[in-house]
Amino acid sequence: MTDELVLTLTVNGRPVTARGGAHLTLLRWLRDVVHVTDPKYGCGEGICGACTVLVDGEPVSSCILLAAQVTGSSVVTASGLSNEDGSPSLLQRAFHAHHAAQCGFCTPGMIVAAAALLAEGGNRSRTELREALHGNLCRCTGYGPILDAIEAAYAEGGEAGVG
Amino acid sequence: MFVKPFRYVRVHDVAEACDLLRDEEEAKVLAGGQSLLPLINAGLFEPGLLVDIAHVPAMQGVARSDGYLEVGALACHAELASNAEVRAGQPLLARAASHVGNPRIRNRGTIGGSLAHADPAAELPLALTALGATVVATDGRTVREIKADEFALSYLSTQLRADELVAHLRVPLLGPGWGWSFTELSRRSGDFAIVAVAVLLRCADGHVLEARVAAAGVGERPVRLGGVEAALSGATRLELPERLGPVREVDPASDAVASAEYRRGLLATLVRRGVDEAFARSEEP
Ligand SMILES: Cc1cc2nc3c(=O)[nH]c(=O)nc-3n(C[C@H](O)[C@H](O)[C@H](O)COP(=O)(O)OP(=O)(O)OC[C@H]3O[C@@H](n4cnc5c(N)ncnc54)[C@H](O)[C@@H]3O)c2cc1C
Ligand code: FES
Ligand code: FES
Repeated sequence: MTDELVLTLTVNGRPVTARGGAHLTLLRWLRDVVHVTDPKYGCGEGICGACTVLVDGEPVSSCILLAAQVTGSSVVTASGLSNEDGSPSLLQRAFHAHHAAQCGFCTPGMIVAAAALLAEGGNRSRTELREALHGNLCRCTGYGPILDAIEAAYAEGGEAGVG
Repeated sequence: MFVKPFRYVRVHDVAEACDLLRDEEEAKVLAGGQSLLPLINAGLFEPGLLVDIAHVPAMQGVARSDGYLEVGALACHAELASNAEVRAGQPLLARAASHVGNPRIRNRGTIGGSLAHADPAAELPLALTALGATVVATDGRTVREIKADEFALSYLSTQLRADELVAHLRVPLLGPGWGWSFTELSRRSGDFAIVAVAVLLRCADGHVLEARVAAAGVGERPVRLGGVEAALSGATRLELPERLGPVREVDPASDAVASAEYRRGLLATLVRRGVDEAFARSEEP
């Protein structure tokens, strides 16, 4: 029972052990301690989705989750979704091709949320996609290009869009 | 984003958690953290110690037992929305869970946390109120049962003592002849409901035999609408609209989201829609 903890998590496939205050959110631990900075701090309230990461495969808001709550888990951020050789994944290429990023602040969270949907398999109508992504806010694109990109990733390879 | 440091401990059984709540100053239970951490991030709550109960085995999962669903306090919203036992045995609860927040919140937030937090617009306490569920609470030494509709006292406060946990919920299964509905209006998907209504109707031969109607967002806690329930008794589907007028038994407040008058009107509309939908469902094979 202490305010300084040693936490071990797998971050984008790499085991990381680092000290951190018990009060650090996963987002702060990733950004300030481990220096994985693609998840962004938008609202700190679980609303905007800029901080979305996968914990053991499930999308979560890393701003309202303590790193201590998920010690031992596997965390994947947007940068960890690239292909093994480091090249952009099908989904990432689709975001690029469809101009789905403007300022880019929402993009890492959007990509993680979209990857989680693709990993569920099946297909989704545009309306269903909109509904499934309602928790990820974008202030720039008006969402159209983002939905285009995800639809393209579904069409081109479904689940392969993740890898 | 800069929060006052606190301590953290992960416990593995109920007694350990309750002892810490008794012995440590400013100790608070942490389940999914989806209500607690936004408060901490905003500087509205400064705990000394968070007692993480998320890994207590006895409080997990959903099981079917004689006439009931036993729902562990740690069952998360996503699990309730997708679990086959819940969808089959208590579809109203599954539907209510699917309305909570966004998918990320549903992956972490728990039903026990939702009850203990006691937001007056929350979906799950409303569903449990309509369903006549029982909250099983424990201080690690004794266990007591609290009716779901009496659990919340007012806005963000409940009957739970500082060293007590919600251990699990006992939710009666729906028998044949029951129809249900869960309707709500929020400004955007994922927002808390302005008003939400849960309806259960038992019908036979085209008449309502028994009605349970409850609403959230119209007072300090979810409430059963006894007047509406009485008015529905014996009604056919065509008679439903004439049985339902303005709902006088609640006294909603005005706030930043909606005026009292708007909430009152919305309540009447959702009750009308919800009752019709539940009636229709009661006639499905
Ligand atoms: C952006 C956002 C939108 C949301 N939208 C909705 C919504 O639309 N509808 C809705 O209902 N909720 C909504 N929520 C809240 C969400 O449902 C939370 O999951 C829930 O209120 C709390 O559950 P938790 O497990 O996260 O609890 P925590 O945050 O861990 O705890 C909440 C409170 O309950 C106590 N507690 C937790 N578990 C127990 C237990 N077993 N026994 C005793 N005390 C306990 C804690 O000490 C704390 O006081 C939203 C949250 C966010 C961040
Ligand atoms: S920063 Fe986490 S949801 Fe907005
Ligand atoms: S691209 Fe700017 S917020 Fe989405």
